[in-house]
Amino acid sequence: MTAAAMTDRPTAYTPPANYRLSAAGLLRSEWTKLWSLRSTWIVLLCAVVFSGGLGAIIASSVPTDQAFGGAGSAVDFSMAGISLASVFVAVLGILTVTGEYSTGSIRSTMSAAPKRLSVLWAKAAVYGAVVAVLFGAMVFLTFFMTQAIFSGTALGGVSLSDDGVLRALLGYMAMIVYLALLALGIGAILRNSAGSIGFYIGVIMILPQLATLLPWNWVSDVTPYAPGNVPNAILLVDPAGSTLSVGESWLWMGIWLVVTYGLAGVLLKRRDV
Amino acid sequence: MKARFARRSVLGMIEIEHLTKRYGKKTAVDDLTFAVKPGVVTGFLGPNGAGKSTTMRAIVGLDAPTSGLARVNGKHYSEFRSPLTEVGALLEAKSVHAGRSAYKHLLALARTHGIPKRRVTEVIDLVGLHEVAGKRVGGFSLGMGQRLGIAVALLGDPAVLILDEPVNGLDPDGVKWIRLLLKGLAAEGRTVFLSSHLMSELAQTAEHLIVIGQGRLLADTTVDAFVTGSGQTRVRVVSPDAAQLAERLAGPGITVSSPERGVLEVTGTEAAVVGQTAAAHGLVLHELRTDRGSLEDAFMQLTADAVEYRQTSEGANR
Repeated sequence: MTAAAMTDRPTAYTPPANYRLSAAGLLRSEWTKLWSLRSTWIVLLCAVVFSGGLGAIIASSVPTDQAFGGAGSAVDFSMAGISLASVFVAVLGILTVTGEYSTGSIRSTMSAAPKRLSVLWAKAAVYGAVVAVLFGAMVFLTFFMTQAIFSGTALGGVSLSDDGVLRALLGYMAMIVYLALLALGIGAILRNSAGSIGFYIGVIMILPQLATLLPWNWVSDVTPYAPGNVPNAILLVDPAGSTLSVGESWLWMGIWLVVTYGLAGVLLKRRDV
Repeated sequence: MKARFARRSVLGMIEIEHLTKRYGKKTAVDDLTFAVKPGVVTGFLGPNGAGKSTTMRAIVGLDAPTSGLARVNGKHYSEFRSPLTEVGALLEAKSVHAGRSAYKHLLALARTHGIPKRRVTEVIDLVGLHEVAGKRVGGFSLGMGQRLGIAVALLGDPAVLILDEPVNGLDPDGVKWIRLLLKGLAAEGRTVFLSSHLMSELAQTAEHLIVIGQGRLLADTTVDAFVTGSGQTRVRVVSPDAAQLAERLAGPGITVSSPERGVLEVTGTEAAVVGQTAAAHGLVLHELRTDRGSLEDAFMQLTADAVEYRQTSEGANR
């Protein structure tokens, strides 16, 4: 009351001083937002079921008299489901941003955090961490499950300590986190669900595959550097035959994320909400 | 400490300075300047498309002005360390994800500022949503959406409240409730700035009035002054001797018109004068009445040139 008495307007209202906008608060907020939507649970459940289930089905149907074997093929077969699950994870990543625009909740979000960029970082950090933990677990679960199925065949008996196996499995985990973050960034740039999902599936997933059919040589020189292709090297137990080295693969994933989030950040600052 | 109190002297003041906002070629707000003071409810009046929402969006930093400034407490909104305690805004009802519950929506916003769950429950009770707080917002009626929007605005217990058309979709009880709520909040020394396209609505809630049309300031005045200043007072006379009376009344500054046979509408004088004139000439009066211009008339008159979407003719109304 003494404070009020000293001002020229004695009735002036003083808001509570103990509430502060903080980075930790934004992370908790994004965590609450992510798990308070039914779509998060459904999509992540699908991703988990597909990554484990498809791995198991493929592993059981590989003929036991396979002429080829070894750790490389074993990892490729077991991780087929993880690659498919990345589509679910990417779509959910897009929706965490575009869902806010389509429903208008972005206005509430940006009113609470008017500097805006911190919201993008918080979204990416929370979703990236959730995907990393969930699919870190799924990659190893699926690997051990498929190894149990493969036991006694040419694809069995692969251990984490075998050359390149652990690195390839961590590569799958990194790949799915990278694609999740890339998709979320695309969502932040395009702000529209259908447009972002279309762009992700068409341009990031399918175009680099189709492009190899084009009659120009330079296209096949460029496609390994496409955003959807750069993680390929880190998925290989033996990356010797890959265009990009493992190091280059990491570098290019970093470059594409910097480009995407740089553009997303600039647009987020400049555009009206 | 002294510096803190110096800053407090503008606490709650909303200042709009030469604000201009263009969307492409369309100018939504055109060189608008006004201030909103704490302690009273200030109404923001204008026809649809006048630029009310754009101005309010600029205050909370959602729209960047093409030129000019929108400040609260002398600061741009994005400079606040705790935006939700400085300004609470209801901009559009249902600025909420349809798949999220009202409680989780409020909780997510509360967490950005470290606002406790207790406060979330408090605002839910305050706006009367406790029974549906756990339900998905997608199924809410317009009125429930408005109540949730008001809960969001009140969440940080802010010094300044900005509400865009808050009574839209509310039932009569809700309208009455929000009027009392806003007056109470203003009485606590808060700044309350609410927009409406209905003069009658603001007249019952607001003390001060900012009127805009086509993005330009038309009036910045008290509600009382607005009504007495621009509302025309008319004397209506019903008389079998209307024609004679009209002749007798004629004089400088007085206009007499006859909307129908035996009826006169006189402006520029008072009922007493008309009565005396009639008596002095032995003219019979059946009715003598003073019509004060309604608030709506005053508003319509002021914004007549500034209405953007006007029916060109009755026939154009399909």
